[in-house]
Amino acid sequence: MSRTIFERYGGFVNVSRVVSSFYDKMLDSPITNPYFTNIDMRSLIDHQTKFIAYLMGGPASYSNDHLERVHARLDITEAAFLEAVLMLKETLEDLDFEDQDIRTVEEQIMSTKNFIVTRG
Amino acid sequence: MTIQKQENQIFQVETETLRQMVQTLSLGAALVQLSDWNVLFENASFFKWFPPGEDADEPLTARLEGFNANRAMTRLQEGHPYSFETESKAGGRSIPISVELRRLSDDPSEPVVVECRDLSKQKQAEYMLESYSKMAEKNARDLQREKDRVERLLLNIMPKSVYEEMRDYGTVTPQLFDNASILLLDFVGSTEMAISRDPAGLITQLNDIFTVFDRITDLFGCERIRTVGDAYMAVSGLPEQNPEHAHNIARVALRMMRYIERRNSAHPEAWHARIGINSGPVIGSLVGVQKYVYDIFGPGVNMAARMETLSESMKITISQNTYNLIKDDFLCVERGEFEVKGFGLNTLYFLEREHPHAR
Repeated sequence: MSRTIFERYGGFVNVSRVVSSFYDKMLDSPITNPYFTNIDMRSLIDHQTKFIAYLMGGPASYSNDHLERVHARLDITEAAFLEAVLMLKETLEDLDFEDQDIRTVEEQIMSTKNFIVTRG
Repeated sequence: MTIQKQENQIFQVETETLRQMVQTLSLGAALVQLSDWNVLFENASFFKWFPPGEDADEPLTARLEGFNANRAMTRLQEGHPYSFETESKAGGRSIPISVELRRLSDDPSEPVVVECRDLSKQKQAEYMLESYSKMAEKNARDLQREKDRVERLLLNIMPKSVYEEMRDYGTVTPQLFDNASILLLDFVGSTEMAISRDPAGLITQLNDIFTVFDRITDLFGCERIRTVGDAYMAVSGLPEQNPEHAHNIARVALRMMRYIERRNSAHPEAWHARIGINSGPVIGSLVGVQKYVYDIFGPGVNMAARMETLSESMKITISQNTYNLIKDDFLCVERGEFEVKGFGLNTLYFLEREHPHAR
């Protein structure tokens, strides 16, 4: 069985760096920042840790239903979603992930777009 | 330039420079009056995190949420620092902040230093770890469940101690058990039964019967070795030695017969079993690599099979060996001498019932 991205990049130790750096980028970006106003940090980090582990094939799973439910009330625009994808890509680049792996994660997250972006 | 080099090699820094430096620190810093908590000085970070309300002269107590002024006062008067965690709500999102108050000197008229640190990174790591350990724990639980399931399946095909040996050492060595008793049961005339024209129904009934047999076997510490078609084989005295092996297998046989009799009286379909029992040495071993099964071998097993074929419908036939072991506690009826294939002439017995005193 081939090893997942999660395993190949050293498991949780490195994934935690991805989460931490991605989280900072999201808070710093004027496009994504407003979504994090008045959001509980503990549950946000819990979600991001699991979601990023999931994107990399780690020990977490997200159903599309679940993603849709947790993002439903946030009014996420396509622009904000794409900004977040770009920032995740940059984060992985900064942490020296292989191009092929970045593409895999990107494809994975793009496949969730319809469940995260709020349909108007 | 405000820094002047002095003769004693220590840099003397002007007060204004120090003030500017403190102003730009990412730490939040303030000086307050202990008596009334009035803020005498605050740097930019402190102001940003805990901005005063409309009253610009608001004391510290009003600006820090969760600040226990009485406790802080007592601690500081004792010369101890006081610290707590709070949150800054400035700028729409809350930032966790640790606050520590300590005296600048022993002089009570001197102001108190308030030092604040952004705990975001620390909390981030903490929450991440929390989230991840929950994930890991959940996975560990799932794995354990899966392991338990596999273990249960394996325990169905081999005795526990054999399973444990295989789990711990990866292989099982064949083992000789000098004192064991083997039971073989077969149904007579099942091919002529009406139910045999309905294979699914036959299996269901057989399954019911064997399930009860398994319980009986288990009840007397015996092991079900295997079933082949409508034949059932159980053994007593292995993998754990048991001086009562012959007694236990006899009890199992009697209860199996009693169960079938009761079942027959309540069912339209009657099953007729015959049982053979022998006591003697057997070799127990796991056979096969990919598809393994725990099985027993040796002349003792063959003898039990002969007893079963020589038995009669709804009767339990036991060999001389078994008879010798249980004759004091069970009522057995001599059947006479029989030519047993491969074993010559042997006296066989029907096992009828257990004497009340033996129970």
